[in-house]
Parts: sequence; structure tokens; C-alpha cells
Amino acid sequence: MAAQQTPGSSASAPAPTMARLSRLAWVRGARVLTQGGGATFAVVALVLALLPTLFDGFFGFSAGFQLHRITLIGIFVIAAFAQNILTGYAAQASLGNAAFFGVGGYMLAWLTNDLGKPYWAGILVAVGVAAVVGILVGGPALRISGAYLAIATLGLVFVTVSLLDLWDTTAGRQNYDLSNLPALLTDDHTLYYTILVITVVLLWLGRNLLRSRVGRAWIAIRDSEAAAEAVGVNLARFKLLAFVVSAMLTGLAGALYATWATTASSSMASADQTIAFLTMIIVGGLGSITGSILGAIFVGFLPLLLGQLPSPLTIGSAQIQVSTLTTGIYGMLLLLALVFFPSGLSSLGGRGRALWTRLRSRAGGQP
Amino acid sequence: MTAATPMSLLEIRGLTVRFGGLVAINDLDLTIRMGQIFALVGPNGAGKTTVLNCVSGFVRPEHGTIRLAGTDLLPLGRDMRARLGIGRTFQNVQLFSSMSVLDNLVTAQHSRLRAGMLSGMLPFGRGPAEDARARERAREMLALLDLEAYADVIAGTLPLGARKLVGVARALVLKPRLVLLDEPAAGVPHAEVTALAEKLRSWRDTLGATLLLIEHNMALVQAVADSVCALNYGSKLAEGNPREVLSHPSVLEAYLGREAGSEAGSETGSEVESRDAEG
Amino acid sequence: MTAVLQVALAGGVTGSLYGLLAVGIVLIYRTTGVLNFAYGAIAAVCACFMYVLLTGPRLNFWLALPLALIFAVALGIALERLFARPVLNAPVFTKAIATLALALVLQTVAQQIWPQLAQPEHFPSPFEGHATRIGGLYISAIGVTVLGVTAVVMVALALFLNRTRLGIAMRATADNQPVARLMGVPVGLVFPLVWALSAVVAALTGILFASQQAVIDVQFMDPLLILAFVAAVLGGLESLPGALLGGLIVGLTDSLLALVLAGRHVGALDVSDPGIRAALIFGGFVLVLLLRPQGLFGQAVLRKV
Ligand SMILES: Nc1ncnc2c1ncn2[C@@H]1O[C@H](COP(=O)(O)OP(=O)(O)O)[C@@H](O)[C@H]1O
Ligand SMILES: [Mg+2]
Repeated sequence: MAAQQTPGSSASAPAPTMARLSRLAWVRGARVLTQGGGATFAVVALVLALLPTLFDGFFGFSAGFQLHRITLIGIFVIAAFAQNILTGYAAQASLGNAAFFGVGGYMLAWLTNDLGKPYWAGILVAVGVAAVVGILVGGPALRISGAYLAIATLGLVFVTVSLLDLWDTTAGRQNYDLSNLPALLTDDHTLYYTILVITVVLLWLGRNLLRSRVGRAWIAIRDSEAAAEAVGVNLARFKLLAFVVSAMLTGLAGALYATWATTASSSMASADQTIAFLTMIIVGGLGSITGSILGAIFVGFLPLLLGQLPSPLTIGSAQIQVSTLTTGIYGMLLLLALVFFPSGLSSLGGRGRALWTRLRSRAGGQP
Repeated sequence: MTAATPMSLLEIRGLTVRFGGLVAINDLDLTIRMGQIFALVGPNGAGKTTVLNCVSGFVRPEHGTIRLAGTDLLPLGRDMRARLGIGRTFQNVQLFSSMSVLDNLVTAQHSRLRAGMLSGMLPFGRGPAEDARARERAREMLALLDLEAYADVIAGTLPLGARKLVGVARALVLKPRLVLLDEPAAGVPHAEVTALAEKLRSWRDTLGATLLLIEHNMALVQAVADSVCALNYGSKLAEGNPREVLSHPSVLEAYLGREAGSEAGSETGSEVESRDAEG
Repeated sequence: MTAVLQVALAGGVTGSLYGLLAVGIVLIYRTTGVLNFAYGAIAAVCACFMYVLLTGPRLNFWLALPLALIFAVALGIALERLFARPVLNAPVFTKAIATLALALVLQTVAQQIWPQLAQPEHFPSPFEGHATRIGGLYISAIGVTVLGVTAVVMVALALFLNRTRLGIAMRATADNQPVARLMGVPVGLVFPLVWALSAVVAALTGILFASQQAVIDVQFMDPLLILAFVAAVLGGLESLPGALLGGLIVGLTDSLLALVLAGRHVGALDVSDPGIRAALIFGGFVLVLLLRPQGLFGQAVLRKV
């Protein structure tokens, strides 16, 4: 994060008037909104806003499913970002985020279905309960670290799956279906826009947070725990905060996922789900917001792309059922990404930019 | 040694540290007066870093008391001691290596800043305002140490000498009352050591700080220290003004007897903390 | 009394299985720094290979066993070459995630090669149906075999690591890789060896577990894996006897809980559910870690400041 914060104007000091200007809050606000190229931002915003219309135009009515699938990526972005805050920024090796995801989904289902509470109240409670679970996990994490923490948190996932399963069996149901959803969230188009707005707002708030005192404390913990403490960072408080923030975001993502799928199932809290979150941030890039987005897109689109392959797929004389391959290919791609892009897709952008500036400066003109 | 004079800033009494069977510090008394540059010398493994770690809270002593301006430090956590006005460097530097140099110094002002979750999420209001002031202070400190050129460089990419200086800048940026410097001259090019000596004095004067300095370079110690304490095997060999201490027979023996000529190779000195020292 | 003994015996047998897996996990973790979440999949693939030998060409069990172990060695070496070596210098966490991915790949490949094993299949073994009673205590042949094999594996590993040049080289690598390299330890040889050795342990565990269950599919080791990790961590992720002891503790706790909770309800909740048991074991595990963050038998870790 801090690495990206340094703007393109490398070592040269900015002109003093500019420096004073940039201190004005609103200028900063405007810059934050448009940084990384106002044009790119505008194009991306436009495309995202028009996507549903484009889809309908190109693919006709049956495209609803694809749009639905793309909406899922927004939910994944939130979850990936949450995992990245905890693991990529605050350096806490949590394999337990799927537990927050599942808890969020089930809480929403319970409140809206069984207790008949309004949807948004359900969302609030889901986020709150996830926060409590985050405290329960983050507390021990203050004393446990590294491999020990990874295994303890993975254990949390297994326990949560069993308990949610148990809840389902006790209540005599297969899945927890959500029936009382607001109309806004049952239509593919409005659901898309709602998720889009929520995702963008959360990313924006999160990005500000990561650049603030809190985010700097997390990065300091990642870079050197000892030095962080020596400058006055309370390790316990900020590690716990990272867990709680991550749990709340993941819980929200879980609740939205249940909304999206109109059902919550214990597989939301499974180890596979945790692997998916970790894949997102590792493939995308640890400690990078762009990385969280790219990783979520990667994981979200993969099944879609694999779905385009003919099934059964014939290689020589062998026939392969593509659907059974999905997780394997998924793992294979993760492995390849780890070997060939160990710092994630988001680092490719940086490498590309570096190459570009080198080429430009070699071409003669000072950049 | 005069007992608690009103001018004393740091008082260490009866400090004893044990690592398993090894007595790293043995019943040590030290008094550092306000505004002093106090040098701690001694061969590798003498326990100098351990004294520093006790003061900043990274090692919990078995016995003894440590008071900063009358406040008992031992019950306080590391972050609280930083808040009380103790800044430190590390023998192995420990910069926030993924951050720019400027951000290292902004992060070092953590205890001065207030922004929490809410103001942190908004791009206007208190958080950005205090961050802007923090950046200003950071730039001033970089200017004082002639490091402005590095402000936007990622700290992890700097050469060792520059990283050491950034580490010092990070310790100084909040103008702490007590600054603990662990071998600031190790790895700094020889030509710059005299410059460093002058700087140490001028920081002390401009910042009004008190410096506790671990140093192997005797020329530097001679040049800057108001007072010196020589340690060996965790015990005090001699204490007083630099000229006397550095020519004290047992100090010479401790250095020449075991350490002849190896002063420069001090970077591997282990600074280790037992993980459950926290309790 | 017999009930308790019976439970202790059952716990000892499952605990040994956890312990064996934990031993293999610690072996790899200590020497190569890989927290191997694919270990269950490795065990499963080897056991599946054994199943195929037993059911396809209908080999005799004792003939198939060495073949399966040879397969395990080959698999271990292949994994070291194709998987562990490219990620060798990645951070520990990244490597751990990579093994999660490896597990997915292994399971998918196994499922493609042996589609019949996507569903549980009967695993034939000579132990099946053999049991005896000693003073009211029911003792199965497979139970005794598990205990025996565990003892033999532990003794053999101890002898190998302490008495042979290669074993000592392995320990040196585990203690300090750069120094071992400088001392002329063939580190390039040690890594494949570790993977092969731990794959053999995995294969043995998998085959034992399949024999005990009498059923097998490509994912049948998954439920064991996480508890094996608990065992390894309780043992401090350091020592092989510690890992075995951790396994026995987990196994015994599980059986005891099963006995105590059997048929009990709290309100509408059936607390004899395995999910509740797992939750309790994990709760206890986390408590232990809180009291001793380095595990029950681990050394306090020194952290450089
Ligand atoms: N955490 C620790 N655990 C065990 N021994 C330690 C630890 N920290 C320091 N030591 C030992 O204490 C002695 C003093 O170390 P140190 O204070 O680093 O010496 P110096 O800084 O004077 O070179 C050395 O023998 C060192 O090995
Ligand atoms: Mg030292």
C-alpha cells in the first residue's frame, strides 16, 4: 500500500504551492477519487454502470444468469479485501475467514426468516455477530502466531461447518433458504447495482483507512513488530482491530452472498471457501487493493470460463467431464500463479509501468 | 554515584537479567542525567543491548527498577513507554521496509496522532489534517539529518548506512525525552562518523533530548559522550568521564584481552528476546 | 471399567493414525518449512493406488503393499521436484496455501484416473473380520496392526535419523539449512528424501485407515488431516515423539468425549454429534495454545529483536 502511495513524481520535491494545496481536504478528497488516472476511473465507472444494459443488448434476456454471476464477483471483492486487510496488511495468517462468511449468511437467514426481522436489520446483526466471532478468534491470535495461528484458524472453519451443519440437522432442513428478501435484491439488475455501490463504497473507505494511522500501524506490524511497538503501536489493539474489521467485512460479504444465492449453506464456511479467499489475495497480490479486485475476478470468472469448454471434453480417446475438473484446474492455476507471479497479478501492473517509464526515458525526453 | 539528583532522567537500580543459566546483566545501577549524552561501551555480549531492551520493554528483568523521571517503567508495556517519550533504534535497524522513508517517520508519530477507525476512513477532517502536520514534522526531521533526498524512497531499498540514519530519524521524530541508540555508527562509512558525532551533539541541543548511546567506535565516544559506562559480562567495569573510563585498566583489558581488533565486526551481536518474557 | 479400557484402546488406535500423519507433517515442516495441507491427499492417493492394485489385477495384499510403498516414494520425489522446489523460497504462508492448492490438484487427478473412487468403495484387507476377546475387551486385528505399525515406524525413524549418515544429514538440514549446506550436507538430496519418507508414512497411514474403515474414496483422509495438524501443533511442530504423543492425546480425547457425550442432549441439541466433539477438541486445543503458545512439548521460541 505504502509502496503505491508514492505518486509518480519520484524523488523530486513537489512545488510548495502544490504541497499546500494538496493539504486542503477537498483537494485531497478529489484526488483520492481520481488518482490512478481520472480517465481510467471514468471508463471503468461507465462500463460498470452500463454493464447490465450492455448485457441485455448483446445477449438478450437469457444473459440474466451471467449478470448474476458478475454480481457475485462484487461480493468476492469485499471478502478478498477483508482477507487482504488481515493477511496482506496486518500479516495475520488467518485460514478462518470462511467462518465469518458462513456466520454472516446464517445470521441473516435466521433473522429475516425465523425471526421475521427487516432485511437491513438482519444485515446489521450479521455484521455484528461476525465482529464478535472476530474478537473470539482475534483474542487468541494475540498470543498465537505463524503456523500455529494458521492451524487454529483453519480449525475454526471446521468447527463452524460442523456447528452450522448441526444447526441445519436440528432444524430439519437441507439449506437455509431466504424468502423475505426486499424486491430491490431479487431482481438481477437492481441487485447488481446495489452490490456495485456497496462494494465501491467499502473499497473507498477501506483504502482511506489503509492510508490512515490505523493502516500504517497494520503495515508497521507486518514490516517489523518490534519497531511498531517501539513507536508506540499497541500490538494487541491493532491486531484485534484487524481481525474485527476483517470479520465484519467478511460477515457482510457472507450475508450478501446468502442474499445473492437466496440460500445459506454450511459449505459457505468450508475449508474450500477459505482456500478460495486465500487464492484471491495470493493470485491478486498480498497487501494490494487492486490485487484483491483482480483476485476476486480471477476466482469469480474461472468457473464461467471453464463452463465455456465443451463437456464432455475429448482429449484423444479420453472423455473428461469438465465439471469434475473445476477445482483441480483452480488449484493448478493457483499453483502456477504462485510459481510464476509470486507477488500476485497486481505486481504485473507495477512491472509494466516500470518498463514503460524505462522505455520512455530511454527514448530521450525526460519523463 | 550520586543518588537520585533532581536532574536525573533515567534511573536504573539493581538491574538483573537472566537468560536461562546466563546472567546477562548483574545488579547494574545507572543514572542518566537530563540532557546528557551517555555512552554504554563494552565487548560483544557484554549486555549493552539488553540494558536498552530493558528500558524500552523488550526484555523483562528479573530484579531491579527502572524509572524515567520518577515513573516506574517496568509495569508499562512497550507502546506505553514509547508514549512516555522513549525513542529507540535497533542494532539491526528494523525499518518499515515496504514504506517510503517519509512514511516511516509519519508512522513513528503513531503515539502523537489520534485518528481511529472512523476518521481514518474519511478523506477529510481530523485524520488527514493531523497526517499533514505529521508529514511536515517528518520532513523537518529528514532535513535536520540531511535525508530529504530519500523522503520518497522505499526504505527497504536503501543501503545500510542510510537505513541506519533513517532509523535514527525515526527515533528522533517525536523529539522524545530519552533516545536509545544501539550502535548508530556501525555500518556508517568511516568518513561520516565524525559528522555523526557533531550531529549527535547538535540534536541533543536542538531537541533537548537525552541520549543513551551504545557505541563501539571509541573515537566517537571520546568526541561526544558526557559520561561513559563500561560493561563486561553484565557488570559495570568503570563509569565516569570518557577519558578516564576508556583508559581504565580493566576496560582496556576487557577490550584488548578478548576483543582485540574486532570492534568493527559487531553487527552480529545477538539481540534476542525470549518470547514468553512478556508473561 | 472395561468400557473405559475399550474406549482407551479405540482412542489409542485412532490416536496412532493421527500421530503417524502428524509425524509426516512435522518431518516435512521441519526440514523444508512447508506446512503440508496436501498430506491427507497424498495419503489418500497412495491408498487409492493400493485399492486399485487390490481390485484391478487382484493382487495379494502383501504383494500390493510394497508396490504401493514404492509408488509413495515415487510420488514423494515427484512432488518435491515439481511442487516443493519451485516454491522453496516463498514465504511460509504462501507455501502453506500452495499445498492447499496441491491437495485440490491431487484429488482431481486421482478422481480422473480412478473415477470409481469418487464414491466410497469397499476396501478389501486381510484384517477384515478378524478380532478377538480378551477378558471382555474387544480387540480387532486392524487395531493391533495399527499400534504395531506405529511402534515400528517410530523406532525405524528414530534409528534412521540418529544412526545413519543420511538421517543425520536430514537433522542437520532441519536445524540450520545454510550451515548444513556449508558443512557439505547434500541438501539437494535431503529434500527429495524427506518427501519420499513422509510419503511412505502417509501411504502406511492411508492404507491402515482404509483397512480400519473398510471403505475408501479419494477424499477419505480429509477428516483425519485437520486433527493430525492439531496433534502436530500440540507436539510443538518440532519433535517426532511429540507429534505422536499429540496424536494419542487427540485420539484419546476424541474417544473419551464420544463415550461421555453418547446419547446426551442439551435441550434439543444432540451433543453426541461429531461436530460438537470437534468443536470441543478445538476449543481445548486453542486453550492449550493460549497457555503454551509453543505447544505442549515445544521449546519457547526465541524472537530476534
Ligand atoms: N533473548 C535472549 N535469550 C538468550 N540469551 C540472550 C538473549 N538476549 C541476549 N542474550 C545473551 O545475553 C548476552 C548479552 O547480549 P547483548 O545485550 O546483546 O550484548 P551486547 O549488546 O553488549 O553485545 C549475550 O551473551 C547474549 O547472547
Ligand atoms: Mg548489542
